[in-house]
Amino acid sequence: MLRAESRAWLGLLGRALWGGLSVSLLLAALVMLVGPAEAAGEQAGLRIYATDGAGLGNAPSLDTRIAIGVSGVIARVRVEQRFYNPHKDWVEGVYVFPLPQNAAVDRLRMRYGGRLIEGEIQERQQARQNYERARDAGQGAGLLEQQRANVFTTAVANIPPGEAVAIEIEFQHDLAWQDGGFSLRLPLVVAPRYIPGAPMPGALHGFSAHGWAGDTDQVPDASQITPPVAVSADDSLNPVTITVDLNAGLDLAEVVSASHRIDVVRQSHGHYRIGLARGKVPAERDFVLSWRPLLGQQPSAALFTEVWEGRHYGLLMLMPPQATALPQRVGRELVLVVDTSGSMHGDSIEQARAALLRALQQLGPGDRFNVIQFNTDVHALFDRARPADQVHLQQAKRYVTGLRADGGTEMLPAMRLALRDPSPSGLLRQVVFLTDGAVGNEQALFEAVAQEIGASRLFTVGIGSAPNALFMTRAAQAGRGTFTYIDSGAQVQGTIDRLFRQLSAPVLTDLRLHWRRGEGDAAVQQAPVQVADLYAGEPLIVAVAADGAPTQVDVAGRFGTVDWQQSVTLSGGAALGGIHALWARRMIDDWLARHASGEDGEVVRQSVLQLALEHRLVSRYTSLVAIEHTPVRPADAPLKSGALPVRLPAGWSASAVFGRLPGTATPAPLFLMLGLACLALAWVLRRRWI
Amino acid sequence: MSTAWRSRLVLLTLIGGIGLLLHAAYLPAKAWLAQHLLEQAWQRRLAGQPAQPPWPGADMRPLARLHQPRLAVTQVVLDGASGRVLAFGPGHVTGSALPGEHGNIVISGHRDTHFHWLRELQDGDLLTLESGDGTVRRYAVNRAAVHQETEIGLLDPLADDQLRLFTCYPFDGLYPGTPLRYVVTALPLAM
Repeated sequence: MLRAESRAWLGLLGRALWGGLSVSLLLAALVMLVGPAEAAGEQAGLRIYATDGAGLGNAPSLDTRIAIGVSGVIARVRVEQRFYNPHKDWVEGVYVFPLPQNAAVDRLRMRYGGRLIEGEIQERQQARQNYERARDAGQGAGLLEQQRANVFTTAVANIPPGEAVAIEIEFQHDLAWQDGGFSLRLPLVVAPRYIPGAPMPGALHGFSAHGWAGDTDQVPDASQITPPVAVSADDSLNPVTITVDLNAGLDLAEVVSASHRIDVVRQSHGHYRIGLARGKVPAERDFVLSWRPLLGQQPSAALFTEVWEGRHYGLLMLMPPQATALPQRVGRELVLVVDTSGSMHGDSIEQARAALLRALQQLGPGDRFNVIQFNTDVHALFDRARPADQVHLQQAKRYVTGLRADGGTEMLPAMRLALRDPSPSGLLRQVVFLTDGAVGNEQALFEAVAQEIGASRLFTVGIGSAPNALFMTRAAQAGRGTFTYIDSGAQVQGTIDRLFRQLSAPVLTDLRLHWRRGEGDAAVQQAPVQVADLYAGEPLIVAVAADGAPTQVDVAGRFGTVDWQQSVTLSGGAALGGIHALWARRMIDDWLARHASGEDGEVVRQSVLQLALEHRLVSRYTSLVAIEHTPVRPADAPLKSGALPVRLPAGWSASAVFGRLPGTATPAPLFLMLGLACLALAWVLRRRWI
Repeated sequence: MSTAWRSRLVLLTLIGGIGLLLHAAYLPAKAWLAQHLLEQAWQRRLAGQPAQPPWPGADMRPLARLHQPRLAVTQVVLDGASGRVLAFGPGHVTGSALPGEHGNIVISGHRDTHFHWLRELQDGDLLTLESGDGTVRRYAVNRAAVHQETEIGLLDPLADDQLRLFTCYPFDGLYPGTPLRYVVTALPLAM
């Protein structure tokens, strides 16, 4: 009975559905037929998405030689990239490569057919136009563009068949002082922080007219450029040789490299020559060289000066007093702010909970803390910061464990609440902000941070696949703290521990510099204008420019509750070329940071442009271009473009990603296909059944 | 297999199939309806009425309006580009320049709903972007390229003054997790 009923019902349902199903199947068939045809039409103008190595065929091979000269705390680096064209066609080569974050790139030379051509600094778009015009006219041309603060591309046009063209890039770079020694870090492969071995076709976006017919006649063989990652490359791909001429000016206890095996030869007092033990190495990891002065010879300050085009430039490095001479631990007030909006749902909130629990464990007696969460509303665990005792910590742990992600992202009131300082207790106040950065009005946020930061410090912690690292970096800058990124669950513990080690070391804050000339004040342009806090062991480094050289600088700051000051007489110092470039580079960084705190974009652009053109620096808005004026490629010979493959950094997998563009596809087409497949299956089963 | 089992199997696959088709239809329907309500919210905003969510409980806010005359596309752009926001409209990528500013403005949308029309764009096509205060900036499409999802440099707010629209690529892809993005770049026109 039941079965008969269900069969009758099924029959009715079936009759109602088969009609619809037939239409669906017909539609599906249409989609199948039309889809590929459309796709093919699209591909005709757009054949560039291959990441499987297409386009590799035309790539020249590359050999890099790096010569580093170190004088005291400054390195002058020359990178020679030799593009060899093994093919029968004329080719254009494009290479994406990293340089240190604070490199001041001021020189490009091209060795083309026995001639050495000096590059010129030009506004970015103009440089590109000049390069492309020369390329299309068959002239030799080289272009150096900045893609990010530490990612650059070189492009070389019209490399003759069977010949090589060399590009020489030079930059100035000041060295880091860490743990009682200097270190030089030279990235050799595009930094994982930005692109973990994934190809960077976007760096070449201007390079070809990917797409429409109107553009392709200007750009020969436009759509072939996709710098691929050679996932399994042998050592012969992109070999690098490195030599260092190290003139430390001090006797050294040791010269070591944590990254590569090196040979060190002592030339004379404080002068060493260093080479790679293996000669050539693949470009797959940063080159790190560190040296340490003999005990008792550690410098307490360094001064380098230059007179360039009538102005005085100086770079001052000053070691703060040893941490041992200071109170080891300053009591602090820690405010943990966590984003519990809907976008944090899933892994992100899990990571945030783990990070918060870890942070709570780091609190010691004498510390105070609070936890604030925000989604559509803002909610604080305590009405004001409480002592980090057993009772309050237990309460906080329960609160954190219970955090759920849902609702909107009202970050502004949360930021305001966190920065408001109700207890002028003299404690070091640190606000740690955990979010995926999917925020609303960032300009209002920057303003709130700049206005209300007071004596607090803001540390941003990025969670999840955070595309908004730029925002978080700038918020931290405005809050005079740092930005930390957690990119996978396993890293939470290590990353949070590192951040808190930094947070708990004594910090030299409120640094102010007063420059004097003789009896009066000196009019100087100091870069950076506002000196950042110094964490354990970091030296103070500032650059100045002035019409008349200052004779003395008074430095004042605070270690926790202890005032610190020091006067430095600016006589002597070593004269050294290129200090002006380091100053200009710092000024540029300062302007870019000022954009974050609300300065008008156009003002920033103009200021940076002017600095970069005057000091011949490659920047966001300026490029170096070198052009050989005689055309060499016959008009009837085609030019093939090839993007050079980059290596995956050692130990990196392509899936470890710093940030990603938002995902922009719904599963609707997939559901549609699966749905149709189910109906088709039902159809087949039904026919057998009847 | 017994007839009873077979009939149950047919019924199950039928229900499953219809469910999937309904879900597939629901996503574009939601996208369409949301744009309709957002357009009304936008008009209210331009008329100077106090800001209200486009529908009760909505946790996103309209930020700009994008218009392309040749394809007769008018869409309200939302603030942010999380999956939650993109279900209802194209989203302004936080961290890029804001609509109305002179800088690199980046807007993303779903390839199979709101931004399906990007594939139809041609060199020279006009795009206008109206920001919340009623100012309108005009752009001309200059090029399109396919990029990796890892290229967050595309979002740099201080890059040259331009409008970037992007969506997942390929357009007819079946699986949502593609690492490729189709990026249309448009350069500003004089007022």
